[in-house]
Amino acid sequence: MPTPEVEREKEKELIARAQGGDRAAFAALVRAHQNEVYTLARRLVGDPHLAADVAQETLIRAWRALPRFRGESALSTWLHRITVNTAWTHKKRAKRHRDVSIDEVADLADLPGANTPEVAGEMIELRGRLRVALDELPDSQRQVVILKDVYGWSHSEIASAMDISVTAAKVRLHRARARLVRSLEESA
Amino acid sequence: MSVTCELAAPFVATSAVDGKPVVRAFRSHTESCLKCQARHAAMAKAARELSAMAGESQDAPRDLEWRVMSSLDGDLAVARSIRKPVALVAAGLSMAAALIIWRLRPRPQS
Repeated sequence: MPTPEVEREKEKELIARAQGGDRAAFAALVRAHQNEVYTLARRLVGDPHLAADVAQETLIRAWRALPRFRGESALSTWLHRITVNTAWTHKKRAKRHRDVSIDEVADLADLPGANTPEVAGEMIELRGRLRVALDELPDSQRQVVILKDVYGWSHSEIASAMDISVTAAKVRLHRARARLVRSLEESA
Repeated sequence: MSVTCELAAPFVATSAVDGKPVVRAFRSHTESCLKCQARHAAMAKAARELSAMAGESQDAPRDLEWRVMSSLDGDLAVARSIRKPVALVAAGLSMAAALIIWRLRPRPQS
């Protein structure tokens, strides 16, 4: 199995080739990153079909912007930023779909750390409630929680990606967490 | 539930997620309020779940790569479809310019 360093070098090479217009190299980058792009999109917009559209547009935007990518951040971080911007644009256009699909419930069954049926059951239950609580947040609040509490972005990174002030990002997070705690309490 | 619990809720949540003490203004209340302590514990658990989500990934739709790459083909097709008319217009303009120069050339006076 290749080490992370080898993987990074391989990715650097693929990026350089894709920047030169090599579409096969870009296809390899798409294959390597499409799941994480789709996962973030899904968390930000909720609806799986809309998330697929967001992921598609994100990767197309990435291809067009790739000549300007200078490698100052990891490719995945750069793709995350494009995903957030794209999701934001899509959300302005589309009405949010709030249903929780069977697939979504199904992927809860494979949780890391769920060693016993009791623990697994408790985690599934909490994770399910958490997802519903997240889904009930207004878009702007949910996106801040996802970026801060799931992906560990800083307030300034969130502010820059969402085109808001750092103070606005902090206020949204503050309100979102308060709402989350109340929703979890109500659903317990 | 008291008004103070509601006012303290965002600070309790933030304290639980960030692993820091509740802000001083609400600390004496939260230290003695079972409701707020329960909220703190629930939110701390939720925060752990949230950060665990970062390591999980969902499978993208199987046709995503195809959709992306065929859109790029569309980009190239547009570029190609623009290239031909542009070349024709450029050729036409060159011919027109050559014709004008030829018509306006100084002629020897007889």
